[in-house]
Amino acid sequence: MDVKLPQLAEGVEGGTVVSILVAEGQEVKKDQAIMELETQKAVGSIPSPSAGVVTKIHVKQGMEVSVGQLLISIEGGGPQSAASVKPTQAPASSAAPAADASAPRAATPTAAAKSAEDYRYESKSGAPPPAPPSIRKIAREIGLDLTRVRGSEAGGRINLADVRAYIQRLQDISGQGSSQSGGAQSTTAPMTTPGESVDFSKWGPVRREKLSPLRRTVSRRMVESWTSIPKINQFWEADITSLLALRKKHAGAYEKKGAHLTLTSFLLFVLARALKKHPRANSSLDESSQEIIYKDYIHIGVAVDTEGGLIVPILRNVDQKSLLQLSEELHTLTEKTRQRKISIEELQGGTFTISNQGSIGGSHFTPIIYAPQVAILGVGQGQSKPVAVDGKIAIRTILPVCLAYDHRALDGADAVRFLKDVVAGVETFDEAGLKLK
Amino acid sequence: MEPISTEIVVLGAGPGGYAAAFYAADKGKKVMLVEQNPRLGGICLNVGCIPSKALLHAAEVLREAKDSAHRGIEFGHPKIDLDKLRTWKESILDKLGQGVAGLAKQRGVQVVHGRGHFEDSQTLRVETSDGQKFIRYEKAVIAVGSKPAMPNAFDLGNKRVMTSTEALELPDIPQDLLVVGGGYIGMELGTVYAALGSNVVVLEALPSILTGVDPDLVRPVARAAQKAFKEIRVNTKVQKMATAGKQIKVTLEIDKQPREELYDRVLVSVGRAPNLADLGLENTKVTKDDKGFIQCNDRQQTEDPNIYAIGDVNGGVLLAHRAAKEARIAVEAMLGEASTFDNVVIPAVVYTDPEVAWCGLTETEAKAKNIEVKVAKFLWGASGRALTLDRTDGLTKLIIEPETERILGVGIAGAHAGDLISEGVLAVEMGATARDLAETVHPHPTLSETLMEAAESFYGTATHTFSRRTP
Repeated sequence: MDVKLPQLAEGVEGGTVVSILVAEGQEVKKDQAIMELETQKAVGSIPSPSAGVVTKIHVKQGMEVSVGQLLISIEGGGPQSAASVKPTQAPASSAAPAADASAPRAATPTAAAKSAEDYRYESKSGAPPPAPPSIRKIAREIGLDLTRVRGSEAGGRINLADVRAYIQRLQDISGQGSSQSGGAQSTTAPMTTPGESVDFSKWGPVRREKLSPLRRTVSRRMVESWTSIPKINQFWEADITSLLALRKKHAGAYEKKGAHLTLTSFLLFVLARALKKHPRANSSLDESSQEIIYKDYIHIGVAVDTEGGLIVPILRNVDQKSLLQLSEELHTLTEKTRQRKISIEELQGGTFTISNQGSIGGSHFTPIIYAPQVAILGVGQGQSKPVAVDGKIAIRTILPVCLAYDHRALDGADAVRFLKDVVAGVETFDEAGLKLK
Repeated sequence: MEPISTEIVVLGAGPGGYAAAFYAADKGKKVMLVEQNPRLGGICLNVGCIPSKALLHAAEVLREAKDSAHRGIEFGHPKIDLDKLRTWKESILDKLGQGVAGLAKQRGVQVVHGRGHFEDSQTLRVETSDGQKFIRYEKAVIAVGSKPAMPNAFDLGNKRVMTSTEALELPDIPQDLLVVGGGYIGMELGTVYAALGSNVVVLEALPSILTGVDPDLVRPVARAAQKAFKEIRVNTKVQKMATAGKQIKVTLEIDKQPREELYDRVLVSVGRAPNLADLGLENTKVTKDDKGFIQCNDRQQTEDPNIYAIGDVNGGVLLAHRAAKEARIAVEAMLGEASTFDNVVIPAVVYTDPEVAWCGLTETEAKAKNIEVKVAKFLWGASGRALTLDRTDGLTKLIIEPETERILGVGIAGAHAGDLISEGVLAVEMGATARDLAETVHPHPTLSETLMEAAESFYGTATHTFSRRTP
């Protein structure tokens, strides 16, 4: 059987082979790691979908591979060839040819569509993609192959919105015409319209470095965010003098527990409460269904500066955690991220992001929203400044913050009310929250 | 003779045929429906589903009355008036037959009574009581159904050797009845006659009754039947039969030794064969498979582009509701719609005591095809409703795809399993997950809760059973 690169996670279309862990002629067990792949934000292993003997390895170390690409061939592995992948929750992600037999005889999508979305529903049990009869009827009528439509509901079930989104994507692609014909490769690094090629060596020596998958993701995400979100930046200055005093008072106790009490942990604590009060700042827009999606969970992404570039791991259920837990988790997560040991799962599902550059320096800056989130908090360095307190000039530590928000989801007043609560939470932080239980 | 012209002619007015005729008429087509039997409704209504279920209801009442004794209610020995029972059963068939005829009339479907014979790919000859009629059609639907198979060796020309058709006529209550074939028809009619008072012996050539059904679903039926019947013999074959006065002498092969036994009547239920003899198919391009069933594509179209075939004539599972679904597909295909018989879940129900019903993938099938599944089960002993009905001999199970938790199949054994399975069919058709079923509130106390509890047990959190497995 042929093992192909499965769909790793939503939005991840490929990666670079870091290492190959098996050799031709070697026997492998089911779920044994066969190779390591650097995808956009993490290094993950690809497990073998079945037991057998490796007959051929089709890729090399350092090679870029995309979803659906043939990786290795295994013999004696039984008829089921479904390469599902461990670190993702994406259901039915594999490359078995078995499901083709049951696929409806629908028109095959255009070549352009293929390059844009190599998704194919595969089921170990050979079952056709899960979709209610009404949706299957629509698909038959318009000649749509449902195995290509990614279902968003439980178990990968396809609903009408998924079909709409798929058709919309096909239309978008056909609208782009032949300029995008680079196959799956081009989707791995779509820098939108690449600028005019300039020969910089005319003016002196240059050095060229290939963009890493991570750099490409960052650049793609940033362009998407910049071009698609009508964004507003709301500035504020928070007086953190008393917060710093509190930190000083309790830092020792936290250290004894092995936790670093940082400004970011305080901000996470405060943000969780503010997001609960202002659910819109924790929401997402679904343009295809014209709906606003409120999330009953608060997972906050924290921008981490790593050698390879910006990575944003997610802290889950921030509202349910104590300051101690947050401090500990933040530390572990940051370390894991810096060492690039973070899994793709730990980078997904964020509802809000915080970017704290204070440890490096700088004042106000305007962060870019991490779509499909609708807001992000940019935090600069706290500085001692003379300010008016009760009519008198006092020296206080002032933290510059900026809330960037998507004006489609939040109006100015909403955003200011939210930020006001965040600032108030920081300025009048309740010491009770610091108690170690 | 001038042929009558029509857009669509449907041959056979069973649950497939009349459904096709009515649907085509509803879609604005000119339709003729040809049926040789004076009463419409086909096998299902006349000598199949409906009469057997009427008799099974009577059997259930008898059993319930008997079982009531231990609940403190005694009725005494039942008096059975066979003529009256037969009349009641016939009255149901008449009512339904008239209903179908009435619906045909309201829709302007012209019913022609007589035997049809294809002259060519566009002409059907019908032998009616007023002579031959020729129908010139654009499209034809063959829906003539099947009949009980009667192997030549058993065909003695003796009325004491019956098929299901004769057995449903209730000629008498034989003291000793042999049922040859432990499939659903043999088991259902065996249940009827056992309740009426016959000593029923069921013979099955294979190692189990209800072959093909998951063994755990068969178990409650086998257990109840062993109590109600005189005997169930598996791995047993009939070598020959002969008339012996007012009885039938049956030579059996048990452990390779022949043995002779005498029975008052024998019911042969060893399968069904399509009613395709003398239909004139050789005058069309319609082809048949090696078992004699019509070959057609998933749009119900035969090799003859003008002729569609639905229901039992196509082989596979011979079920009325499959025929009705195929009727819709055939009509939509004729109208140029993109319908196909693809990915359609056909539930099956065996009306034994207790009933067995299933849909989608079965555990047996998953094993045979080497498909990895998880099975979640709920035993009815923990169902309050089952206890109040005094029917704890039941089991509900879900066949689940492990990665997606999608429900691929449902199996139920127990009272009213046939009515309960529809929720399972909907779940499979909708691509529902076990979570969907577990999260759906089911009324209490009902047997339908067993579906929810089976789904909950998949997560180790069924309220009324304890699972050691941590979720």
